[in-house]
Amino acid sequence: MKVSEVLESRRAYWRALEELCTKLRGRALRRMEAATASRFSSLYRAACADLALADAYQLPPSTVHYLHQLVARAHNQLYRSRAFAFRAWLYELFVAVPQRLLADNCLRLAFVVFWGIFAGAGLLAYYTPDFAEQVVGRDELMGIENMFADAKDGRPIDQSARMAGEYVYRNPTIGLMCFCWGLVFGIGGLYIMISNALILGAIFGYMAKAPSATNFFHFVTAHGPFELTAVVLCAAAGMRLGFAIVNTGGYTRGDSLRRTAKVVVPMLFAGVLLFLVAAGIEAFVSPSAIPYELKAGVAILCTLMLLFYFVFLGYPRRSARATG
Amino acid sequence: MADHAAELDTSIEIVTPENIAFQYRVAGPFRRLPAYLIDLIIRLVAVVVGIYVLMLLFETLGLGEAGRGAGLVLWFAVAWFYGGLFETYWNGQTPGKRMMHIRVVSADGQPIAGWQAVLRNVLRFIDGQPLFSYQVGLIAASLNRRFQRLGDLVCGTMVVVEERQRLDGVMRVGDPEVLEMAALLPPNFQPSRTLARTLAAYVMRRVYFSVGRRMEIAQHVAEPLCQRFRLPPQINPDLLLCALYHRVFVHETEVQPVRGSSPFGKMGTGSEPVGAGFGRRGSGEVPVPIFPDAPRDDYAVQETPPEPPIPAFPPAWRQRRR
Repeated sequence: MKVSEVLESRRAYWRALEELCTKLRGRALRRMEAATASRFSSLYRAACADLALADAYQLPPSTVHYLHQLVARAHNQLYRSRAFAFRAWLYELFVAVPQRLLADNCLRLAFVVFWGIFAGAGLLAYYTPDFAEQVVGRDELMGIENMFADAKDGRPIDQSARMAGEYVYRNPTIGLMCFCWGLVFGIGGLYIMISNALILGAIFGYMAKAPSATNFFHFVTAHGPFELTAVVLCAAAGMRLGFAIVNTGGYTRGDSLRRTAKVVVPMLFAGVLLFLVAAGIEAFVSPSAIPYELKAGVAILCTLMLLFYFVFLGYPRRSARATG
Repeated sequence: MADHAAELDTSIEIVTPENIAFQYRVAGPFRRLPAYLIDLIIRLVAVVVGIYVLMLLFETLGLGEAGRGAGLVLWFAVAWFYGGLFETYWNGQTPGKRMMHIRVVSADGQPIAGWQAVLRNVLRFIDGQPLFSYQVGLIAASLNRRFQRLGDLVCGTMVVVEERQRLDGVMRVGDPEVLEMAALLPPNFQPSRTLARTLAAYVMRRVYFSVGRRMEIAQHVAEPLCQRFRLPPQINPDLLLCALYHRVFVHETEVQPVRGSSPFGKMGTGSEPVGAGFGRRGSGEVPVPIFPDAPRDDYAVQETPPEPPIPAFPPAWRQRRR
């Protein structure tokens, strides 16, 4: 059998596969009939076999090249990207992740570093007169002081919505950037986290002895727990990822990175989620005119939820350890 | 030889679950940059139009300020998750990638999962350093075989070219001279695979060469064949290869040479007009092979011609028959 005859006999099938590939790329995938699907797969397998036998058939190089592309296209239509399986994600988020987080050294380190520096900067700013000015800058401090000079009696709802948008844009962006910088051997994100902790701590310490301290704490109490935890989570996720390059655990550096990436994504996801909830609280609860006790109640509730998530859900269980 | 080609090429071999290896060409920066720019424009337009519509909408609802907030939320979502969502639900493509015919796949050829799509697009930020000039990504991509930027390296993904090529048939070399020459070849000659591949590559490309260049290229293959077939050495090498190609790829039917017009008869006179693109070699010209010690084993005559069975869908397990 000559090559030209082989080509003629196979050409119709290849064309058919090509047409199906084009059709499946669009919206036809959902309403595809079973017969079409099985026809597609048998055509694909036939093309695979043709490619395997191309050498034995002595097909010309251009035809072999064509077959490579045809098989690649069909392969991409057959094996498609897997979207998020939301049930699996729920399990991951509420069962697997908390257990991993409680045992995560990076999270412990990030937690201690962030809160340690935050508290240290706060104390320094409270007891030394010009620490806050040196860290934050005089004009910024004045601006913040003016912002809280008069008691807020709530905002109109549309202004709150605008601020919610602003918080949603600003805060998770800082968190995600912090995560990305973590890739620099785990210490890049540390810098952003430390600078944030320093500035925030200095502002807290400074405002605590300022005349408008009541207004300030009125504002920051409610959303504080979620927002600050979210920063820690994002930074820890970045640190974990970047540190996988340094401490490979016996794998090559690339493999170690890839193994860690899968673990880190839910952590980042949890961080962004916390940021979004915190933005909602910051925009609608924090500036409202409800009494301070209620706002403190929100803060306590948030803290309890975090404790429940990290400690109760995350407490190591034998079954989880056995399986994973 | 194949190994050297693989080292030079930007193609990556993938083994599918069907146990077949096929090749992808990896997309380099010159294909990914236009795709990125297209996506950038789409993102900008989407954000501008979206903010405009949202602000109009909230204005009519009497909540003017809220529109700006909603616009910022949209901006945040598009800036960080545009690529991730499209690549998840469009099977590894964004609109820009689809226009440039490239696709994100896992490094092992599998399709990407949602977390890979999202993470590689979040990490775009670090690849874009400094100041969205993408120097980090460019350097990282040029340091590995698969052009993976940092985000790709972390997620184990790569961007491949998904081109479509027209299926060419067999080249037509049906000139009478070729047919005559084909009839003169030994009837039981069966070329080796490498020779067949060489013939196909040569005939496919010879139309792009000048006559002199064709001679120069063809004679390296034609000379040992001439000796084997006991053909006169001054035979036109281009013509010989075309005849062989015709014999191997196109037709088996014997063509009777027209009486009194042997192709050798015309050789060496050099006075006839050049017809059908076959140049003629001058009479006194001695061919100078460029690589006189080139290996000749490729041209071995196979005694048993391979005749693989070709059912409608050839089962793969029958391929090792010989």
